[in-house]
Formats: sequence, C-alpha cells, structure tokens
Amino acid sequence: MIGTITRATRTHLEDFFELEPLYTPEERLIRDSVREFVQSEIRPHIDAWWTQGVFPEYLPRQFGELGVLGVTLPERYGGSEASYTAYGLVNRELEYADSGMRSFVSVQSSLVMYPIYRYGSERLKNAWLPKLASGEAIGCFGLTEPDAGSDPANMRTRARRVGEHYLLNGVKRWITNGTLADIAIIWAKEEESNEILGFVVETDTEGFQAVDIKTKASMRASATSELYLDEVAVPISHRLEVRGLKGALSCLNQARFGIAFGVLGAGFGCFEEAARYTEDRLVFGKPLASKQLVQARLADMLGDLTKGSLLAYHLARLKEDGRDTPARVSLAKRDNVRAALKTARAARDLLGANGITTEYASIRHMLNLETVSTYEGTDTVHTLVLGREVTGQNAF
Amino acid sequence: MKIITIIKQVPDAEARLHPAEEGIDLDGVTFVIDGMDEYGVEEALRLREQGFDAEIIAVALGPQRYEEAIRTALALGADRAIHIETDTVLDPITQAKVLSNLVSEEEAELVFVGGKQADWDSAALGPALAEALGWPHSDWTTKLDIGAGTLTVTHDTDEGQEDLSLPLPAVITTQQGLNEPRYPTLPNIMKAKRKELKKLPLDQWGGVQAKTAVVGEAIQVRERLNRVIEGDPVEAARELVRLLREEAKVL
Ligand SMILES: Cc1cc2nc3c(=O)[nH]c(=O)nc-3n(C[C@H](O)[C@H](O)[C@H](O)COP(=O)(O)OP(=O)(O)OC[C@H]3O[C@@H](n4cnc5c(N)ncnc54)[C@H](O)[C@@H]3O)c2cc1C
Repeated sequence: MIGTITRATRTHLEDFFELEPLYTPEERLIRDSVREFVQSEIRPHIDAWWTQGVFPEYLPRQFGELGVLGVTLPERYGGSEASYTAYGLVNRELEYADSGMRSFVSVQSSLVMYPIYRYGSERLKNAWLPKLASGEAIGCFGLTEPDAGSDPANMRTRARRVGEHYLLNGVKRWITNGTLADIAIIWAKEEESNEILGFVVETDTEGFQAVDIKTKASMRASATSELYLDEVAVPISHRLEVRGLKGALSCLNQARFGIAFGVLGAGFGCFEEAARYTEDRLVFGKPLASKQLVQARLADMLGDLTKGSLLAYHLARLKEDGRDTPARVSLAKRDNVRAALKTARAARDLLGANGITTEYASIRHMLNLETVSTYEGTDTVHTLVLGREVTGQNAF
Repeated sequence: MKIITIIKQVPDAEARLHPAEEGIDLDGVTFVIDGMDEYGVEEALRLREQGFDAEIIAVALGPQRYEEAIRTALALGADRAIHIETDTVLDPITQAKVLSNLVSEEEAELVFVGGKQADWDSAALGPALAEALGWPHSDWTTKLDIGAGTLTVTHDTDEGQEDLSLPLPAVITTQQGLNEPRYPTLPNIMKAKRKELKKLPLDQWGGVQAKTAVVGEAIQVRERLNRVIEGDPVEAARELVRLLREEAKVL
C-alpha cells in the first residue's frame, strides 16, 4: 500500500553516534524544552526578522522566562546550576533557528553575566545578575575597536582615575546588543598602569552613546553597534577584580565553548534542508539524492557534523572537569565553525536558485556563519593559537 | 487538597517504529510524556496558580523508563512523584485497581487521566479508575472550573458538548483544548532533581493478576515505494490515478 512519506527524523542522523544515552535526564529535558520553544516561538518568524534586520524587543523576556540566560550560574543569582553540556545544547538548539538568537544568549550569559559573576563585587552581582537572568536587563561586551580586533591589547580606549571614579574615553565597534543594552562590560587601559581593566558601565551614564551598524549582510537578526564613550564616569566599585587581557579572554573562552556547540545547530539545519530538498527535487528524471556526486556531499556533511558533535560533547565534559584549556577551545571553535560553514555552503549550492532566497534557511545560516567564523577569534587567530601549541613559537 | 495526575510514557509521535519478529522494536526510539497526560498536569498547575491550595502528585504505573516522563511532570511543576514500577503489561481494568489503592491511600480528591493513550489508543483507564473508586467522572474534558466541593466542566460528546457539575472527589479525563501546556523552564528542570520520586512495588497492596494477557502485537506498516512517474504531466496524472485505484486501492 502506498503510505505517507516517512523521512529520517531529526534525532536519527543528528545523533548518528548515539550521544543521547550519555546526557543526563536534565540535559535531555533542557534540550527538548528549548527545542520546542524555538520551534513555536522563533522558527515561524526568523526569516522576517532577519530580512528586516530586527531583533524583537520582547525576546529577552521570553528567553528569561524559559531560563536560558546564565544557565550554569547559581540559583541565588537567577541561574539554573545546569551543566556546561546543557549550556552547549541550549546554544545548539537556538542556533538551529539562527546564529543571531544564539549570539544574544552567548553575549548575555558568557560575556556579561560570567564576568560579573567571576570578577564582580557581591553588590554588583546582586544588582545585575537576577535582572540579566530574567531578561529584564540586557548587557553587551565591548572589547573590539575600529582599529583593534584580533589584537585587542592594542586598544585605544582609556580609563583615567579621578577620585572615586574612572573616566572612560574611546570607541568600541562591532558590539552585539550595543543599542539594546542597559549595561556594557567595557575593557579599557588604565592610564597610569597601561593595564587592561574591565568596567560595568550603565549605558544611561552621560557621555555614553550607542549607534547600530545597519549595513550587515550577516547576523541580521541581531543588533551590532558602535559605542562612543566620552568622559563616561564610572564609580570604582563598578570595576571588575581582574587585571590584564586575561579577564576578557576568560570570558571569550566561555563564549567560544558555546559556539562550538551552537554552530552545529546551524549546520544540522542546513544538512536537513539539503537532504529533504535533494530527495524531492528531480533532475534528469531522477531525484537529486540518487546522484553519486550529491550523495558524496551529503555524506561529507554527515561526517563533518558528526565529528563536530563528538568533539563538542567531549569538550563539555572536559570543561565540567575544569580541563578545557584555551587551545582545546580554539580547536573546537575553529573546526566546528568550519564544519558548519562548509555544510551551509554546500547546502546552499545543492538548493540551486532556491538556495539564493531566504525562503530556505541555508543561505541565511551561511551568511550568519561568516560572522561566527570572524568573531570570537577569527579562524586564523585560532589556527595561530594551535600552531603555537604545536611548535611553542608565537607567530601572531 | 491533593491532586493526582496519572502519567504515561509513549514513543515520540515523530519517531520511526520498526516492526520486529515479535511485536515492535523500540530500540533507539525516543519516548516522551503522553501529550494527553500533559494536559492533566497543566490543568492541575493552573488550578494551583488560580490560588487553589493543592499538592500535585504525578503518578505512573509502568516500566523503569517511565521515569523520564515522570521527571518531565516534576519539571513542569508537580510537587512529588510516585512510580509503581513494573515490566508486566497490565490491562486498564487491572491498572485502575492498582491505582485506586494508591489514590485512596494518598487521600487525593481530584485525579487527572489522559483522555486517550497516544500509543495504543486506549481510552479506558480514566473511566475504569472512576469505577474502581466509585467516583464521578467526566470524559473528553475541555474546560474545568473548581468551586467549593464541586467541579463544573465542559466535555465533548459524540454529537457535541455538554456542561456537567460533579461533586469532589472526581476523576477527570482530558481532551485536546483543555489548555495549552507550558514548556518546562530550565530552573524548574534543575529543581525537579531535588523533588521526591518514590518507588513502589506493584504488589504493594497485595498480588496483582492481570485480567488479560497480550499474546502478540503488530503495527500498521507504511512503506514508501520511491517510485517516480515519468512522462508528461497529463500522462503522469493518469498513471497516478490508475496506481491509486488499482494498486493502492484508495480511490
Ligand atoms: C556581527 C558581529 C558581532 C560582533 N560582536 C562583538 C561583541 O559583542 N564584542 C566585541 O568585542 N567584538 C565583537 N565583534 C568583533 C569581532 O570579535 C572582531 O571582528 C574580530 O575579533 C576580528 O577583528 P577585526 O574585525 O578587527 O579583524 P582584524 O583583526 O583586522 O583581522 C582581519 C583579517 O586578518 C587576519 N589576521 C589577524 N591577525 C593575523 C595574523 N597575525 N596573521 C595573519 N592573519 C591575521 C584575521 O584572521 C582576518 O582575516 C563582532 C563582530 C561581528 C561581525
């Protein structure tokens, strides 16, 4: 009897090497809950948000209600005390919809809540962490400048101590959530010591201004901004207890870990789309999926994403054990972004002209992943980290 | 007052099931809490959120793997859970008997049961439990209000719908439309880990003898033919109609 079409379910090829039994029941529930949320609250709208270049203002509250902001932090600060594996899976499910959704959560959790939790005073923690967890407050992370990206030590932003305040001056560029933010984590060089310090800056302080960058062809469902700081007075109690670039780098290490998981979501989104499309699309009288050259590309996608999944999972367990060295995180960030980007480009191509429209997700993912390849340490920067790991020689 | 919500675990509706030599191969299948049972949990939570003072107890009768469905109920907001663990397949009448003992012992006054099992389509457990307890029952319930000692409900009938009022204690079986279940939030999922999940043996209230035994099972198998009809559209349509009529016999 001719029946309904059955297709490989998401879980089947997405978990080709059976990681499922290795997750705890809580990790599985968290993954499923976020997946359902994404399916009903984000997927129906994401194409429109991306095309119009908007990040909806109501989303942070929804994220907060679901509990995906600061998931690894203690309950008393509004976190869930979930594992890093759970945090990774949250990222993957969000990025299955769009890298911009994951970006928001990465920035809020790893680049804003994490430094306040790790380096902030108890007062700062109590003042900000619960509000950031509920989505009532939004944060951004200002490290990059127009003339200092891969080489942040070369930053120009300065902090001048005047009595009980620091006065901040400088420009930050490419800052995710900049115009939405209530607080900004700003990294600046202390004038007298020339050391990099971190500050929690309330964005309504006089002299602080944020302006969106409107010309992006990538990450369009995420706000990316330029920050201008003109004699912004920050009380010394808002300074983070860390000196040097290592403070900022420890935050990036958290976010990069999340990206190693996140991009798999985008990659699997493209892979599924390509698998489905090539099954239905007829060329020369036969489904595309029946052609050897097409199968070779689908096989590569499955291989790349499966290896990436195993790498991410194992990195998470290492991290839970405190053994996520920066070089390991560099490898996972670099190679998983490569796997996802290669998959997205191949999927885009297999969809032919349809792959050119945002009615299909592949081109949107592909364009987003160009940002992901650049931010949080470019592909080259991570290659140089790994080269240094192998040779012991700094080639930056 | 105590509210008990009965939980089952069923294969995910999207899962692909494989027929095996004997019955169905469930290896590698994802299991989830039955959607109909989720309505029950959600309704109990809503009663409490409306200010009704209630302890919500999720109860399951089934194999060890049911534990994950129970955890979902706890993550949604149930206060504690009881799992009567057994690998024996029990018919609804026998299940109802076992569960009625537990309901009485807990002195619960309101029990929610899923309207229809998503896997084997049985709708018998709710009415059977009401019968075993000697309590009033509303099936296919789509709306529920609670007053002092009474419930007012709307439920589906074959021809339409009916409004009923029932004294407590009562058994309510759910129907789609009763509510829109929430997602378990991350903090609640983690907090659920600390909630009590009590395990009881099947023979807690004496020996259990199933009234019927399953001697074989089979599912409807659907396979795709992967057949592509070639030729011009008019010809192809004609061929398709012929196949549907003569081979598939669906026309
Ligand atoms: C959408 C978006 C959001 C962002 N969000 C944030 C944010 O929230 N906060 C923040 O602080 N920053 C953010 N960034 C900035 C991002 O981190 C930087 O763009 C990134 O670090 C690269 O810096 P750059 O753009 O100055 O490139 P450059 O550092 O100028 O690099 C240009 C090219 O040179 C290569 N290169 C660099 N060094 C070497 C070398 N030694 N040898 C060989 N090649 C080299 C790079 O790999 C790259 O290909 C964001 C960027 C984007 C696009």
